[in-house]
Amino acid sequence: MSALLERRLLTRDRGVGVFQKLWQIPWLFVLLLCAVAGVGYVALYSAGGGNPDLYANRHGLRFGFCLVMVLCLALVDVRLFARLAWLGYAAALGLLVLVALHGQVGGGAQRWIAIGPLQLQPSELMKIMLVLMLAAYFHRASWERMGNPFFLLPPLLLVLVPVGLIFKQPNLGTSLIVLALGGVMFWAAGVRWWKFAGVLGLMAAAAPILYANLRDYQRARITTFLDPESDPLGAGYNIIQSKIALGSGGIWGKGFLQGTQGHLNFLPEKETDFIFTMIAEEFGLVGALVTLALLLGVVAFCLLVALRCKHQFGRLLALGLGANWFLYVFVNVAMVTGGIPVGGVPLPLISHGGSAMMTTMLGFGLLLSVWVHRDLEFGVARD
Amino acid sequence: MNLPPAPPPLPPEASPVRPAPRAALRRPAPRQPDHHRQMRARLGFATFGFAMLFGAVAVTLADRTVINPASSAIAQPRPLPRAEPPVTRAEIVDRNNEVLAVTVRGRALYARPAHIQDPEAVAALLHPILPHLDRERLVARLSPPYVFAYIDRFITPRQEEAINALGIVGLNFETAERRTYPRGRDAAHVLGLVDVDNQGLFGAERWFDERLRVDRNALRLSLDIRVQRELRETLAHTIERFSGIGGVAMVMDVNTGEMLGMASLPDFSGADPAGSPPGNRFHRAVEGVYEPGSTMKLLTAAMALELGTVQMHSGFDASRPIRFGRHSISDFRGKNRWLALPEIIAYSSNIASAHMAMTVGTARHREFLSRFGIARHQRLSIELPESAAILLPGERDWRDIHTMTIGFGHGVSITPLHVINAAATLANGGLFRTPTILAQPDGAQREGTRVISERTSHQMRRLMRIAVTEGSARGANAPGYFVGGKTGTALKPNANGRGYSTDRRVSAFVGVFPMHAPRYAVYLMVDEPRPRADTGPFATAGVVAAPAAGRVIQRVAPILGLVPETERLAEIEQSLHVPLQPARPRAPATAPMAAPRQPAARPAPAIAPTLPEVAPIRRTGLPQGAIQTAEGRHAAP
Repeated sequence: MSALLERRLLTRDRGVGVFQKLWQIPWLFVLLLCAVAGVGYVALYSAGGGNPDLYANRHGLRFGFCLVMVLCLALVDVRLFARLAWLGYAAALGLLVLVALHGQVGGGAQRWIAIGPLQLQPSELMKIMLVLMLAAYFHRASWERMGNPFFLLPPLLLVLVPVGLIFKQPNLGTSLIVLALGGVMFWAAGVRWWKFAGVLGLMAAAAPILYANLRDYQRARITTFLDPESDPLGAGYNIIQSKIALGSGGIWGKGFLQGTQGHLNFLPEKETDFIFTMIAEEFGLVGALVTLALLLGVVAFCLLVALRCKHQFGRLLALGLGANWFLYVFVNVAMVTGGIPVGGVPLPLISHGGSAMMTTMLGFGLLLSVWVHRDLEFGVARD
Repeated sequence: MNLPPAPPPLPPEASPVRPAPRAALRRPAPRQPDHHRQMRARLGFATFGFAMLFGAVAVTLADRTVINPASSAIAQPRPLPRAEPPVTRAEIVDRNNEVLAVTVRGRALYARPAHIQDPEAVAALLHPILPHLDRERLVARLSPPYVFAYIDRFITPRQEEAINALGIVGLNFETAERRTYPRGRDAAHVLGLVDVDNQGLFGAERWFDERLRVDRNALRLSLDIRVQRELRETLAHTIERFSGIGGVAMVMDVNTGEMLGMASLPDFSGADPAGSPPGNRFHRAVEGVYEPGSTMKLLTAAMALELGTVQMHSGFDASRPIRFGRHSISDFRGKNRWLALPEIIAYSSNIASAHMAMTVGTARHREFLSRFGIARHQRLSIELPESAAILLPGERDWRDIHTMTIGFGHGVSITPLHVINAAATLANGGLFRTPTILAQPDGAQREGTRVISERTSHQMRRLMRIAVTEGSARGANAPGYFVGGKTGTALKPNANGRGYSTDRRVSAFVGVFPMHAPRYAVYLMVDEPRPRADTGPFATAGVVAAPAAGRVIQRVAPILGLVPETERLAEIEQSLHVPLQPARPRAPATAPMAAPRQPAARPAPAIAPTLPEVAPIRRTGLPQGAIQTAEGRHAAP
């Protein structure tokens, strides 16, 4: 019965047809995504040493496929996502458990799982699903209810369980990002300030315990961050090479395909985590800032969606997805400029790699759906 | 962003299951909770936060790229060679200007994979010309993501011509240099090696790395490659004969400190360094520290003579082992009687050497050894980076027992270079010079430090000679060259650091020739020799090292321009002669410690007169600990 009712509800609303929905899609934003992916294509073409077959073509193909997915998702009624959020969350959690049990070891950590030809990193999927789940959970929560600690307990578990699983992989960087994402969602939903202050205080107190439980390489990252020159050929190598590449780029850069740090393989992981360095080396500060502006535009659109949306679910979802994107960009760029310790965080839509592209594009599908259905009657806050 | 004074609750009718919050009970709820406004405020804050963090990243970026760019030598692109550069690393030659190491100009082949269409096909063409390359690796290096890849760092002109004839776009050549060692394995350890970029890795290549790159003139070493070759051959033969695991053979000019030959086995080939196990790079002569064993007794005797506690005719009681706590010092094939100084050296008595060292005392003992560079943690200065620090008790730990054991060469570990240099110093008139591998200008006198008197040096020459004519080092005698020297056999410590091995030993001989006018010092050591059926049950130095050293001297002396003295034989022999039991001078020297020479039959006192403080403490079972020696272990019960 419920399925039938659901369909009626979804199709009846305002009588919005598929074509009207298509008209509602923010094509400027889609263009922006294409521009970001285009930057990625150019950078990967260079990272492949001028050979598009190595990274760039696969990147473009992947983006095209994901774009179709985004447009399809944009047409789906946003209430369906709210209803099925728990399913997505459960699936992501299941994959995390699966990867913990028998994932593929890559770089010393169990992070990957193979689904057919696809190499998936469930922690990336979890970011989107967590945002979706929390948005659905907090959708009907009143301001008042947000003050009730017992009401906050289940979502706290929803955050901490995946954080723990990811931390155990071990993947410190991603687990902290997921934690931050959960924090943003709690905060946006209206959790009181003093609670945040308390939790942050607790975390500061727990930091020494956390540090004691870190793997040696994770500790090395922190000490290297504090003083990269202490081990220029070992743990400090990545960041020093990255800084050299940035410095050699200057204002206008060395020119397309002319970056020596990248092309002579001084720069590690130049097609994934350090692709932004490569852009900065070849296109200089100007190119880097333009790229950054494009990435910032995406965040700005997310905030715009959150502002314009009339229902809490959409607001929370848009803000959460914006925060997710922001965290990717911020952590990656801060990492390659030596602002924070290095941890494998890619630059989505630009770095080579499927997981981040797939999941962020999945998020943009949800975002567009929110935008298209932003004025939908979708419950009011109840307590 | 401030909190509202109290959360505005919803009207109770909004939900039947609402838990009743206290705030709601206190005052009536406004109609509009304004969750939306809260949300918007927080959204505004988020926007602000995102903008600030993005701003911070942008500023950092500007700082790293333009304001404070990191610069590094690595970041500077290497200028491509425009013209043929000169050979950039100087030759190394021996003292007779024989080339030992030379840089050869050639070509390096590199690829720019971006220009190569079909790596598989190119690899198929290249492989017949460069068959030593791994096919799969070759394909990988010809393919992206490599932008630049060396295919072969050194190819011959013929190979270059063949590759050029293929006409493959994307393959290029540049000038390359390769270090070659025309003498193969000879002097491999002294010369050392360079890495793929012609930077010194170890040995002289490392020590003189800068000199070789800055100064284009050949570097002339003190080595004589002919001597080196003889040393290596004889050493290899001896090691093989006694199934040893390695060895050292050296010849040194006693008057200049120049090393004429330094062979260490096992070794490696400079032409194919990867062809030998990495352990072969261990330079036993300067890098290995071994207990010197009985060769140390020369220093003990010199010390006692120099400090006047002993005269040539002095004697010590070697009739019974010394017991000191858990330790026991005994002799190998001991005479079990009083021994005069020449007998102590000739018969290599541990007991008497320990007594003799005790006449000097620990403080003076330590000071005397330091004159020869034998001091805790000290490295003997030589132009080789491998020179190792020696192992010796610290000043506070050094007790009587150490003086006794070090007196006969145990409880101290020094390099073979220390041993040969000490012997050279004892024989050359008493001038200590640091050894060198650099050729000294002809006729130039190297400054030396006087560490013993001429008189003591003369006495030491006689003592060294008598050890060869009458003692354990008989095998080292080479007719007409008046060899003097001393054997030394030391058991190696166990790998676990507890006690000594029962069968792993180091057998060495150190000597000087010709003894009447010392010119050259010789050292030969075999690491872990095994006894042979035809040489008796023990692979001691007298069996292993001394005969090999004698062979070395016979073959090397003519190369060095010495001819056997046959005409003045008796005369020279007479000048070097000292009786085994020298008569006490008519007017007795006032040496209070020296006991009067006594016939062999004299019953020994219970306590050695020179060691009044060392009383037998208790009889233990099998003596153990740091001072158990080869000689002691095999002593007759």
